[in-house]
Amino acid sequence: MALPAEKIEAFEPRITAFVCNWCTYTGADLAGTSRLQMDPNVRIIRLPCTGRIDPLFVIKAFERGADGVIVSGCHPADCHYTSGNYHARRRFAVFNEILGFLGVEPERLTFSWVSASEGQKWREVVNDATARARRLGPFDAFRALAGRSA
Amino acid sequence: MARIGVFVCHCGENIGRTVDCARVAEELGKLPGVAHAIDYKYMCSDPGQALIKQAIAEKKLTGVVVAACSPHMHEKTFRRACGSAGLNPFLCEMANVREHCSWIHEDRDAATDKAVDLARFIVEKVKRNVPLETIRIPVTKRALVIGGGIAGIQAALDLADGGAEVILVEKEPSIGGHMSQLSETFPTLDCSQCILTPRMVEVYQHPNIKLMAYSEVAEVGGYIGNFDVKIRQKARYVDAANCNGCGACQKACIVRKVPSEFDEKLGKRTAIYVPFPQAVPNIPVIDRASCAYFKAKAKGVKKDACGKCKEACSKGAIDYEQADTFVTEKVGAIVVATGYTLYSIGKDQPEGLRGYGEYGYGTIPDVIDGLQFERLASASGPTAGKILRPSDGKEPKRIVFLQCVGSRDPAKGIEYCSKICCMYVAKHTMLYRHKVHDGQATVFYMDIRANGKGYDEFVRRAIEEDGARYVRGRVSRMYRDGETIKVQGFDTLSGEPVVIDADMVVLATAIRPQPGIEQLAQKLSASYDAHGFFNEAHPKLRPVETNTAGVYLAGACQAPRDIPDSVAMASAAAAKILGLFSKAELEREPTVAKVDAALCAGCFHCERVCPYGAITRIEVRDRKGNLVKIVAEVNPGVCQGCGTCQATCPSKSVELQGFTDEQIWSEINALLA
Amino acid sequence: MKELQELARTLLSSGTVGVVIGWEEGPRGARPAFITDAADSSRLIFDHRCTHNLATYLSPRRPHMARLGKAAIVVKGCDARAVAGLLRETQVKREDVVIIGVRCGGVAADPAGAKPLTAETVAERCPGCTAREPHLADHVVGEAQPEPPGAPTRDARIAELDAMSAPKRWAFWQAEFARCIRCNACREVCPMCFCERCVGDKTEPQWLESSPHPRGNFAWHVTRALHQAGRCVDCGECQRACPADIPLGLLNRKIAGIVADRFDYRATDDPTVPAPIGAFSMSDRQEFIL
Repeated sequence: MALPAEKIEAFEPRITAFVCNWCTYTGADLAGTSRLQMDPNVRIIRLPCTGRIDPLFVIKAFERGADGVIVSGCHPADCHYTSGNYHARRRFAVFNEILGFLGVEPERLTFSWVSASEGQKWREVVNDATARARRLGPFDAFRALAGRSA
Repeated sequence: MARIGVFVCHCGENIGRTVDCARVAEELGKLPGVAHAIDYKYMCSDPGQALIKQAIAEKKLTGVVVAACSPHMHEKTFRRACGSAGLNPFLCEMANVREHCSWIHEDRDAATDKAVDLARFIVEKVKRNVPLETIRIPVTKRALVIGGGIAGIQAALDLADGGAEVILVEKEPSIGGHMSQLSETFPTLDCSQCILTPRMVEVYQHPNIKLMAYSEVAEVGGYIGNFDVKIRQKARYVDAANCNGCGACQKACIVRKVPSEFDEKLGKRTAIYVPFPQAVPNIPVIDRASCAYFKAKAKGVKKDACGKCKEACSKGAIDYEQADTFVTEKVGAIVVATGYTLYSIGKDQPEGLRGYGEYGYGTIPDVIDGLQFERLASASGPTAGKILRPSDGKEPKRIVFLQCVGSRDPAKGIEYCSKICCMYVAKHTMLYRHKVHDGQATVFYMDIRANGKGYDEFVRRAIEEDGARYVRGRVSRMYRDGETIKVQGFDTLSGEPVVIDADMVVLATAIRPQPGIEQLAQKLSASYDAHGFFNEAHPKLRPVETNTAGVYLAGACQAPRDIPDSVAMASAAAAKILGLFSKAELEREPTVAKVDAALCAGCFHCERVCPYGAITRIEVRDRKGNLVKIVAEVNPGVCQGCGTCQATCPSKSVELQGFTDEQIWSEINALLA
Repeated sequence: MKELQELARTLLSSGTVGVVIGWEEGPRGARPAFITDAADSSRLIFDHRCTHNLATYLSPRRPHMARLGKAAIVVKGCDARAVAGLLRETQVKREDVVIIGVRCGGVAADPAGAKPLTAETVAERCPGCTAREPHLADHVVGEAQPEPPGAPTRDARIAELDAMSAPKRWAFWQAEFARCIRCNACREVCPMCFCERCVGDKTEPQWLESSPHPRGNFAWHVTRALHQAGRCVDCGECQRACPADIPLGLLNRKIAGIVADRFDYRATDDPTVPAPIGAFSMSDRQEFIL
């Protein structure tokens, strides 16, 4: 499925990130404050907590043309709301496996814990997710569901 | 039709250098529903805010999007500006085009495209924002302080002096905590009890403080301003109202060899006891497990059970039938000041920790810990202040102190520094030299962390004036050789192995949170770290708050703390609470969840996931009063707005205000331009 | 059969219940029966054609059932797990239902006709079943039954799919979902789909397109599967009800495997066992998280 090298160059994947307000969003703020340069392909949507992040968001993002999705929040034991991330971890463990079973390439979806002090890690998550989506190419399979190809 | 105003900030050059702000404004201006789009050098400046206010009035805006820095920086600023211009503050949102865009990209086109996207998502979101009203909740102007050590005492006194009623709950028979056990305190060597006991008495006599010693918090319900706390008062078997503290019962007690907790098992106490002479309250308790009367009762002896204390009591205050009682108190704020316990090197360890096999798992006699040394050094201690080793009562002439036992040792499960040990070990060497003039103290250390006022000078004094010998390195093995303890280590400065013969060894063992702290944290819905210390809301800016509104921290329940730190935290927590109590009503952000009772099927998955117990069950009845169904309802005072309920709800019948499905859907839907 | 009929008669004539939900002989094999008159108790049957999970009729979202009064329900071991699910999720109160358990030797995939139960006719979920003895019951009737015929097939099929490349698996499921006409039969028949308004019918916003269209079909089947995680009782009704023969049982079985593997949860008729979603463990595996 991987694209040939010259196409990888030209393709700019679109990646949607659903992040919690307290850890990842703040970590991404820190990456900014620290002027850490990263790929410009990720668009962040801010939620209060990973507990609020609904698998429906991920499906909808793919439907709207995302080539990759990032879900990110506080490390275990770090949740601003004490346990939202633990519930999210269960929810997305199942969701991730179901999507895989239905044939979505696992590289399309990135889950990560990024704390408010991990600006550097956020950059890695962004660059990794971008590189993986770039390798896989446009998520045409999903877009084809709508009868539309990128 | 929405009439959104978009305000793109240059942030001087911070955004403008990489993002073409004019193009962002221009592109956003083309979107349906956008009535006004401009860019400006500094949106957060007074003239910038004036532009927003003016546009709200002139263009009759129904929503505002400020594309600028992180909402964590200026969301409040812009919402306030909108509010003052008559637009509901919650109709204003920010697009983060600085931290998340201009600062992290160099390519001007790519950054500008991204900024347009980010602002576009927020425009779509704001189209679905609805006016929200700040939640106002009444405040009960009473505080609960959990723990009667120095932190709890200070918090209680500051609160009480500030006019608030305080309930101080202490699980031990007396307040005072670990500080009451200390002999002298660093870096001034003032007597610990001399500075503490007046405060203990003050607590006891303060008209605003209700002291509940020998009590524990059983349950916590409610929320900031309105907590309901159920407190278990453990049976003392002594009627506090009648007891005059004469001590006759203790003199009469036939069980005289119970290891004293206060003396760290180095001394003995009776079965009916007050932990120490200056105890507050000065009311004894019967330790049921040791008491001859209760032991006889448990064996089924009906007659002739001991009863000596009862006979001796002239006030008839002994009551063997007393039972635990529960009281429920309403409070508006809670200070957690549960303090610490010491790590022990034994074989049996809580999950995740390991003992010190190389030090014999605590089986070598005359290897004691820091608190035990405090009791030996204390004039009120079991040796009346003489430094005598426990095994044979001889005066140790060679004493070795080990720092970082457990602490900073990931192999034992504790990575952190216990903070106070460097200082109290220096103090111990001085106290030792002051009492054993011909004795030699040796200290094994990793680093000296003496970073408080007068602290480094204090350590220098221990070394230079009181002759403590400091060896940089860890001790790899300790074993017994006759009456001598062989302490085998490595001097990393000379690069040589060393073996030191010691008569006594004192371990500066790690500071750990009190056992049971996790259960308390769960009752309070507060979070704690991997070691069981409470998490502060922000490590720098909110050090004495927790993420649960209305719950504050003081002292070593949050991290290892010395006395000045604990006192400072306690006063800070008290100041926070007095601030809270200064208002008649509390204002809360209205970003809370709301259930649609018509759609809720009452499966209560939300109730299971809610970290705050904010979900209650309510009955829905038809006009005739017949029960139709039982559904969930969110208590907006308790809800903190995480939204876990909504993502869990199968039918999406609960909506988090400010982050509704409609709002998020619109953001996602805007992915494709 | 006599035992069942007698029990139903007693329950109805004593006024203990207003309706007994069981099975009866219909023009096309076994079918659900709602006996409200003690005299009709002799209509009740139980044999290998009684495939239907009747627990779906306990859903409080079926007001016509509520009008019949307190219900007694006949359940196979697998069906009892659905009743446990309804109790767990507070849809039914234990004192409001009389549970009559029947011992089961496996049921046919198709309740119609009189074909004997063989490896060919048995329902996919039955071979290897461990839930044939109902525990959640006020009464258990009937003799112990032999093991269902045949051998389990679904796990092998899942392993086969797991071994495929992602695009192949994608193609497989797309071909299956392409037949979906979004009739919602899978939802209507499911005892655990009791929402007042399914998220699939939500319009503001519309997360799941409701017309039979590949995009909406995919979103629906992912969401249905996710909502069944730790809740599905593997009664097989969704697959039986599906007019397009989409192998939903395969998907359900996969999810059951996931929750068993990750959260050590297996469908049970013990209502005190908490469902795995809505709970968590600090030590939940997180190998998929960076």
